[in-house]
Amino acid sequence: MSDSPRITVIGGGPGGYVAAIRAAQLGARVSLVEEREVGGTCLNMGCIPSKALIFNAEVVGLLKRAEEFGVRVISEPAYDVTRMLERKQRIVQTQVRGIHALLKSWGVALIKGRGRLIGPRAVEVTDTGGAVRRLEADRVVLATGSKPIKPTIFPFDGDRVITSEEALEPRVLPKSLLIVGAGVEGCEFGFLYQALGVSVTMVEMKNRPLATEDEEISSLVQREMNKRGIQLHLAVRVEKAAVESTRVAVTLSDGQTVSVDRVLVSIGRSMNTEGLGLEEAGVLLGKRGEILVDDRMETRAPGVYAIGDAVGKIMLAHVASAEGKVAAANAVAEGGSHSMNYDVVPAGIFTQPEIGTVGLKEWESVERGLNVRIGRCPFRALGRIHTMDEIVGVVKIIAEQETDRILGVHILGPHASDMIHEAAIAMRLGAKASDMAEMIHAHPTLPEAMMEAAEDVHGSAIHLPRRKVPPAGGPGPS
Amino acid sequence: MIPEGLRYHTEHEWIRQENQTAVLGITHFAQDALGDVVYLELPKVGVEVRSGQEIGEVESTKTTSPVYTPVSGKILAVNEELKENPELVNQDPYGKGWIVKIQMSDPSEAKRLMDAREYGAYLKEKAD
Repeated sequence: MSDSPRITVIGGGPGGYVAAIRAAQLGARVSLVEEREVGGTCLNMGCIPSKALIFNAEVVGLLKRAEEFGVRVISEPAYDVTRMLERKQRIVQTQVRGIHALLKSWGVALIKGRGRLIGPRAVEVTDTGGAVRRLEADRVVLATGSKPIKPTIFPFDGDRVITSEEALEPRVLPKSLLIVGAGVEGCEFGFLYQALGVSVTMVEMKNRPLATEDEEISSLVQREMNKRGIQLHLAVRVEKAAVESTRVAVTLSDGQTVSVDRVLVSIGRSMNTEGLGLEEAGVLLGKRGEILVDDRMETRAPGVYAIGDAVGKIMLAHVASAEGKVAAANAVAEGGSHSMNYDVVPAGIFTQPEIGTVGLKEWESVERGLNVRIGRCPFRALGRIHTMDEIVGVVKIIAEQETDRILGVHILGPHASDMIHEAAIAMRLGAKASDMAEMIHAHPTLPEAMMEAAEDVHGSAIHLPRRKVPPAGGPGPS
Repeated sequence: MIPEGLRYHTEHEWIRQENQTAVLGITHFAQDALGDVVYLELPKVGVEVRSGQEIGEVESTKTTSPVYTPVSGKILAVNEELKENPELVNQDPYGKGWIVKIQMSDPSEAKRLMDAREYGAYLKEKAD
């Protein structure tokens, strides 16, 4: 054991704890330093708690429509916010305990406190009581994550003007909520709060919600917002926000003023890089404040690695985990040549209905001047979706015209975030649209829409009418 | 079957002219082809539209289909009742299922549309 490397990981989120476990699996002696709770933002203040609440909204949504299914609900369904939050907290606690148990089973020492580099080979940990200890390390992995951006024009008070962290703890639901930013987080909260009976207004400076997603997905999401009565102000900025006793008055750049009970600012996240002793240790930051790393996740300070939101590549929990595994492998076998590949990164967006996405968007194919063929299958073309009575949505496949290889897949519909993985593995293996089309898909299931969309790339979907304009390269099975 | 006195567009919209105003809806043929209508995306009141332009969308259990206007002008009103009861488009396409009212800027556009007899022949031709 004595010649196994000592590795210290700072930050116990989905990047850090995964890196710690992987390093331990590979034989390192590992310490994991975490100031708050393992699981990081994702588990404690992000992905998991928000999905717990979103599920509540789904349950009530179904109950409200029960009559359509021939189910009689005797009294009007209502939310018990206290119990919802208890349930959410229980889910988080179970996961936190699970991570503690995993760390223990792999022999990772969890050290509570705030870590900072003392040069590239040591970490100093200050606990909440102010006690300081020093950990010698052969290699260090920085996994310090990110935090919500809080521009000074917003008078944040944790009550009337809040970030996502407080939005997950709505002890009292506001009657009205204005969300600044219609990105992934903003849209998820928008649909959630609307479902909870809150009147939701969203303000976005771009001209569509989810502006980095495929444009068709954006327009479908926008329509779903319209259906639910979510007010969406596009291509405007917030000029001013002022707390006036119990309300917040928000002035928009188009001159409009909106008065609401609460404002949620959801305009992005900034990297946690302060007070970490980075400069002294030789770790360099980029223009956006991100820790600069090579594709092996090593910083400019040899032996110091960095992963996750702090390196600002793609701010997703599962990307952080993947980066953590790469960093761990390289840190254990010093000079290891594992490298990160960001070509195929599936992602879920938990709007209603939800979104699954991987690879190239149509607007990107236009920007890059690629020749592509696009196949679509609206879910309502298939039987299974009608049994669920959730007919909204589409599978859209973008394939390269010359090679027929699948370059991107975008799904809006029930279970889209689960379904996207078929597309991801197909892309990872370099599959063509025709491979996807020829693969037998079980009936009756939602992924049949994937097969039909792949067929539609060549204009030969069975459950869609003949196209008015045949796809480039001619219609018919390839 | 096809009401007299209305004007018909090749994309299966009808208009009823009331002086400078056109009431617009989709035809019985269109609603039948679409199946059960579940949602309509309607334009904002006050918006200027040009003939041939897509002004909204009808979502049915089978498909999603654009609504075109065959006349230019300004949207005077949208049928708010369709928000709660989109099935009116199926039940009463020429009456309670109307979609928008347009203040026409060029009423001669309406004259160029098909009358009931011509639309009937057009449908027959399409069916053959």
